[in-house]
Amino acid sequence: MSDLAQRQRRIGRIAAAVLMAFAVFYGTFGLMIEYSFSSDPIGPRGFPAGLAVALFALGAWYWLVPGSTEEWPEQEGRIAALTFLVVSAACVLAMDWIGFVPAMLVLMTVIARLFGANWTLALVNGAGQALLWWLMFGPLLGGTLPKGPLGF
Amino acid sequence: MSFDFLWQGMGVALMPQNLLIGLVGCFLGTIIGCLPAIGPINGIALLLPIAYTSGLPAESALILLAAVYYGAEYGGRISSILLNVPGDAGAVMTAVDGYPMARRGEAAKALAISGISSFYGGMIAVVAMTFLAVPLSLLAIKFGPAEYFVLMVFAFATLGSMVGHEPVKTLLGCVLGLMLTTIGLDATSGAYRFTFDQPELHDGIEFIILVIGLFSISEVLLMLESQVKGTLKPLAVTGSYPSWAEIRHIWWPSVRATAIGFTIGVLPGTGASVASAVSYTTEKRLSDKEGTFGKGDIRGLAAPEAANNAAATGAFVPMLTLGVPGSGTTAVMLGALMLYNIQPGPQLFVEQPKLVGGLIASMYIGNILLLIMNLPMVQLFARMLLMPNWILIPGITALSILGVYTAYSSVMSVLIMFGIGIVGYLLRKLGFDMAPIVLGFVLGKVMEVNFRNALALSGGEFGIFFSSTLSIILWIMAVAIVLVPIWLRRRQAARAAAGQTA
Repeated sequence: MSDLAQRQRRIGRIAAAVLMAFAVFYGTFGLMIEYSFSSDPIGPRGFPAGLAVALFALGAWYWLVPGSTEEWPEQEGRIAALTFLVVSAACVLAMDWIGFVPAMLVLMTVIARLFGANWTLALVNGAGQALLWWLMFGPLLGGTLPKGPLGF
Repeated sequence: MSFDFLWQGMGVALMPQNLLIGLVGCFLGTIIGCLPAIGPINGIALLLPIAYTSGLPAESALILLAAVYYGAEYGGRISSILLNVPGDAGAVMTAVDGYPMARRGEAAKALAISGISSFYGGMIAVVAMTFLAVPLSLLAIKFGPAEYFVLMVFAFATLGSMVGHEPVKTLLGCVLGLMLTTIGLDATSGAYRFTFDQPELHDGIEFIILVIGLFSISEVLLMLESQVKGTLKPLAVTGSYPSWAEIRHIWWPSVRATAIGFTIGVLPGTGASVASAVSYTTEKRLSDKEGTFGKGDIRGLAAPEAANNAAATGAFVPMLTLGVPGSGTTAVMLGALMLYNIQPGPQLFVEQPKLVGGLIASMYIGNILLLIMNLPMVQLFARMLLMPNWILIPGITALSILGVYTAYSSVMSVLIMFGIGIVGYLLRKLGFDMAPIVLGFVLGKVMEVNFRNALALSGGEFGIFFSSTLSIILWIMAVAIVLVPIWLRRRQAARAAAGQTA
């Protein structure tokens, strides 16, 4: 077996173990669901319990036959993905305080940079898109978007 | 039954004022449909007070709202095909074959195919509605919880078509989708399941959050990976329209999908997402001999598109004939009827022939208008993909965030979407397909609720699932959809073997 196939097999087995652990977690919490009354004989615990058993059994099958996986990203790719996720989460969390447009300006600029724009283009794109989406989903379509100290 | 209402309706629908209203509704619906944040239900809810206060007569108001509804079913496919961001729930399966077509430069053809199959689905369904509305509505009320449960079993049986060379991953995806439906308030017992005292989880994971996370965010992460590797290239967009042979090729898949979509649409509480999912899996089971579904097969694109348009039309049947809305959007439209003091029911066709006939006639005209309007715009929409990635991908991210934020006004919902996106990315890297997760999610809730309601009715007797003719027919269909393709494959193999020995 080649190194790549062995690596894929190992990754598949790790995923199977995670799924089986999740099945145990899900099943345990499923059996702890509190309820005082149910009009049907199965109750709210029955379906989750059945699904936990199914997930565990399928997880075991997956562990035995891990199959193939795609190539995983190198360090540079992992850093880029992490940057995207952290900046996205930070901007989304900050939206309520700083407002929609400033938060989106930062996010759009960072994503444009990640996808190869230079700083000038990224900033122009960030400002343009932030304003465009705000105009479309705010004043035009009547949506409620977070307002910061600047009012948008 | 007399069809005088249709002739009277044609007169109403062809009035210049109503033609213009239908055209405006179709255009607005297309725009509303392609924005994931809005959806037909919100679009109609926004337009209803405007229609009422502006003094439009009931039939004109209903024509406007209906045009927005089926216009949105046309429009939902645009962002689904171009960006892998489904515009509405019914357009999720459209992405499965539409997006790969766009990635290989056939965005214009994919949009045209989906427009034509939407037209097929919409038109056939309106004809069916014209002639079968009343008998079908009587059939729909025969569906109790047991029949709904067996219908979901049938839907799951069609899932057999999704099983590829790694069946365990398909089944795991399906179970994960089902598990997601158990989060939130259990309607039968009032218990909170897997909410961990988080109010944002009380209503469960919303469908739009799931699909945007699974499809759009995971796609952005994959593109980012390609960008870092230097393999992300700008897309080519060929201007080709489908050939006549291709248009003929999608006729039967569209007809089959329309039959499925319209029937499911008539049943209250199921909707376009179930219709498109079942029609896709059924078509894959019947037609995917070369294993091209999921890789940009025009039949895999046509089937869900025809089905979701047919379901949108089918949802009008119980609303008009029984006063029971077939979908959330028709529930808002029912409100519109009541605003005008009109009581839906079987007598509506006799008492309000202009209104019902005008609405149905406007659907014939609306579908033609939508096709004429959409085909020339195909090139324009497809050219969107020629934008550089540093403009396009921030736009996809913004649209994803807005889609969730404006629908639920909650930062937590957006963060959940990103969390689902990460899981989707990991699963895609592991070789999982996203479609079984979505199918498990779409079917799971309806299945569990009806399973338990049926058992509650029968006092725990499982015989209720076999107690009606309808249930038995559905069981036979479920067994047949699993066994017939296997039998056909074996017969074909046996014939081939016999041919070789001869």
